[in-house]
Amino acid sequence: MTDSHEIESRLRQAAESLLREKKVNLFIGYEKASLPFRTAPLFLTAPKEAGRLVWNPFCTANLAVYLPRLFKAPADAREAKTAPPPPKVGLVVKGCDARSVVALIQERQVPRENLVLVGIACPGIVDRRKAERALGDHAALGAGEDAKGNVRAVVDDGTEVTLHRERIVADACLECRAPTPLLHDVLIGAPVEGKQADAARRRVAEFESKPLDARWARLQETFSACIRCNACRQACPLCAGCKTCLLDQTRPRWIGAGTDISDVATYHLLRAFHLAGRCTECGACARACPMGLDVRLLSRKMSQEVEDLYGYRPGEAADATPVLSAFSLDDSQDFITEP
Amino acid sequence: MSQTQVSSTSDAAAARAWEPTVVAFLCNWCSYAGADLAGVSRIQYPHNIRIIRVPCSGRINPAFLLRALQNGADGVLVSGCHPGDCHYISGNLAARRKFALFKELLQYAGIEPERVQFTWVSASEGGRFAAIVEKVVEQVRKLGPNKKLVKTL
Repeated sequence: MTDSHEIESRLRQAAESLLREKKVNLFIGYEKASLPFRTAPLFLTAPKEAGRLVWNPFCTANLAVYLPRLFKAPADAREAKTAPPPPKVGLVVKGCDARSVVALIQERQVPRENLVLVGIACPGIVDRRKAERALGDHAALGAGEDAKGNVRAVVDDGTEVTLHRERIVADACLECRAPTPLLHDVLIGAPVEGKQADAARRRVAEFESKPLDARWARLQETFSACIRCNACRQACPLCAGCKTCLLDQTRPRWIGAGTDISDVATYHLLRAFHLAGRCTECGACARACPMGLDVRLLSRKMSQEVEDLYGYRPGEAADATPVLSAFSLDDSQDFITEP
Repeated sequence: MSQTQVSSTSDAAAARAWEPTVVAFLCNWCSYAGADLAGVSRIQYPHNIRIIRVPCSGRINPAFLLRALQNGADGVLVSGCHPGDCHYISGNLAARRKFALFKELLQYAGIEPERVQFTWVSASEGGRFAAIVEKVVEQVRKLGPNKKLVKTL
């Protein structure tokens, strides 16, 4: 594992030279935020400001979410005449973010030739909630990383606490099969070995072993606190690239806006379904949830099903056809009702 | 007669009176014509079915099916042309992947798999259409009313 400070300085150099040599007009990365365990997205246009970029275990956001809006197609011919040319964008990507970018390229939401991907071999990021839970009654005032990659937090009684990295790493990272970006133009850090998919499969199998009614009860329990804020949708790069979101339609209004369990369940079912074969399992939705819900409960199953039925893993090959845009005459149809 | 007796007899009456409603999405070219053939051939099938004609099974958005269940349907049946026979060449093939995943998803979430069913019926299969409707309605009747996804607000 390469030291975060070294990664950070190389990242700053890379961003500085990309901007200075005008290879990109915009560079998207992370900067220090005012709260512990967090970073804020940073949009750089001036090379001299590259020193604001940071790299640490709190660089959790999937920055691919900002791409589709930068490459929006003009609404009509008149707009096309006056629209500025699409920008050249530099982007910091972790393994999961790179998969999201690949999925967006596959769907032609973003043009590959306009992107410069600065990949970082990612040792796994910190789940803010896990860290806060590990601190118990204490609130963190500041946090950083020590030489071993563990997190050191200063808490409200003035003492320093060390949190072991593996205890507070995000769930999605524990299941990540490609922490080193599969697609990148520049790679920073020594490649990190991927994990097996076993952890995710075990969670799906554990849920699936329950009878139908117990599963429904667990789903209701999981989502009963959902306030329908749509943060999970907003944080998702693939949802950001979607122009036909059912939530934005009002005639008909597909899903009621309230927190009735019928609407909440419908929302989460449709979200999981629309992400089938697209979800790159970055976990941005789960981290964005203000209620701390396991919003990946259903999409986890979809990813597994897509892999088992069609041998497809989203975000791995930019030239592959998205799985639901393709078909084969011998696709399985065991689910068809026969008289 | 005590209060409990009254309610139990009326419950029993309600249970006897309850008939499942199954919403059927049929493609215009094969399955709707198949249903038509069942009709003109005077083949009897349960009247619990409410048919909605769609241009192609590829037109079906899973949101349709969830909305039917939310609005009180006890079951949903989706039928299109047999694979390879689609009027639009490949609409049902693209749909087949969506249906397979959606069916898995509902079952995973704890919705009974018999509530949402998918099949293929060609324009010449009036008998098959009637048999399938009979089977689906029977299965849904056994499950009882849809209580999970229905919106009661």
